[in-house]
Amino acid sequence: MRSFSLIDFVSLFTALRWTVALVVLARAFGAPLALGLALGRISRFAGLRWAMAACIQVIQSVPLLGLLFFFYFGMPVFLGIQVPAIIAVTVAYTLYTAAFLGEIWRGGLEAVKQAQWEAGACLGLSAWQQFRHIIAPQALRLSLPPTVGFLVQLIKGTSLASILGFVELARAGQVVSAATFQPLLTYALVAAIYFALCLPLTLWSRSLEARLDGSR
Amino acid sequence: MALVEIRDVHKTFGKVEVLKGVSLDVEEGEIVTIIGRSGSGKSTLLRCINALESVDSGEIRVEGQKVHAGMPDLKKFRQRVGIVFQAFNLFPHLKVERNITLAPLLTGRIEKAKARALAEDVLTRVGLADKIDAWPEQLSGGQQQRVAIARCLAMAPHLMLFDEVTSALDPELVGEVLKVMEAMAKQGMTMILVTHEMGFARNVANRIVFMHQGRVWEQGPPAKLFANPETPELASFIASSK
Repeated sequence: MRSFSLIDFVSLFTALRWTVALVVLARAFGAPLALGLALGRISRFAGLRWAMAACIQVIQSVPLLGLLFFFYFGMPVFLGIQVPAIIAVTVAYTLYTAAFLGEIWRGGLEAVKQAQWEAGACLGLSAWQQFRHIIAPQALRLSLPPTVGFLVQLIKGTSLASILGFVELARAGQVVSAATFQPLLTYALVAAIYFALCLPLTLWSRSLEARLDGSR
Repeated sequence: MALVEIRDVHKTFGKVEVLKGVSLDVEEGEIVTIIGRSGSGKSTLLRCINALESVDSGEIRVEGQKVHAGMPDLKKFRQRVGIVFQAFNLFPHLKVERNITLAPLLTGRIEKAKARALAEDVLTRVGLADKIDAWPEQLSGGQQQRVAIARCLAMAPHLMLFDEVTSALDPELVGEVLKVMEAMAKQGMTMILVTHEMGFARNVANRIVFMHQGRVWEQGPPAKLFANPETPELASFIASSK
């Protein structure tokens, strides 16, 4: 046993890089996929709508822990494919992000009135121009609060990666707590770091919301 | 050749046949007002002219070009045929100027440097030059509708369609919109309107088309049609709308 020292402090902050890395990876791969899912869900092709809805339903219904287990432990058993842990977590968090963001963005897109598409079409704009300049900006503003809400959840959700051996913030907290026998102090610190990570996001979302809604 | 030629157009929604063989010609510079009861097919006919709906049979030609939703240069066609809706449909996230200049810029009709001047020009024509930097929701219904008209004018259309453009307005705001449309009529714009404004139909239109049960029931110059309706349906419609 040793007392809580600077080293423990440093090890918590070092572990933070995995937390951030997982969020960045999930966002980077998950967001484009989410956009694809959202567009598929509002497509005029019924088959595509149905397939996207099914994908989203399956992923949303499985606990994140289950996704992580499946891609790391399950795939070698069922499919005979063994991937490095970093690939497994990236895939799991990407799908998780895509399914939830996709559904949030679908809701935002559908909340913009159909007549807005029509108004753009009647001015001779292409479908892409209607989406890019008329629908997407309005949908973005509507989707912003739940999108940031989900990001905050994702940040905290990265703690589950510890079961695959990633020493991210939560796991580092366990290690430090075990070494110092100072669980209260350690976990309070861990919680404070999570808070410090999430708070700016929420504040940023609020200011962005106000800025996008120029009319008020 | 008429600017708009409509030949024996049929259109069905589900099991309801909305248009049952409509034929109509509109000459360049003409102001044609379509009147009739709800469900008579007048709005549907208007939407077919702009290919917002496709006809089941028959054909519509505008400037000699056959109109349908899959036509090869639909986008170019829509730039020549403006439509104004009952619900204005301004883009709420864009200021008035951008509402007007978005389409001319994106379609390459004008350069960026000339965009504001274009917005000023068309806004002046609808009497709202001072609202160029306003947000749509800061405007009254009548003002929003005039911006919607200006947005159409910015594309310099050859033909304008108006789908009950005053029906969603408070009574005291109807006049300002009709005045703008009257001015456009005087400048020679070809216009087809669906309206319940009998005063406008009577005073501004060259021709009234009365639609009933999916057909053109009766048509002619307003003075004649209102004074001597030939069919009992039109007579009762005129009586009920007074």
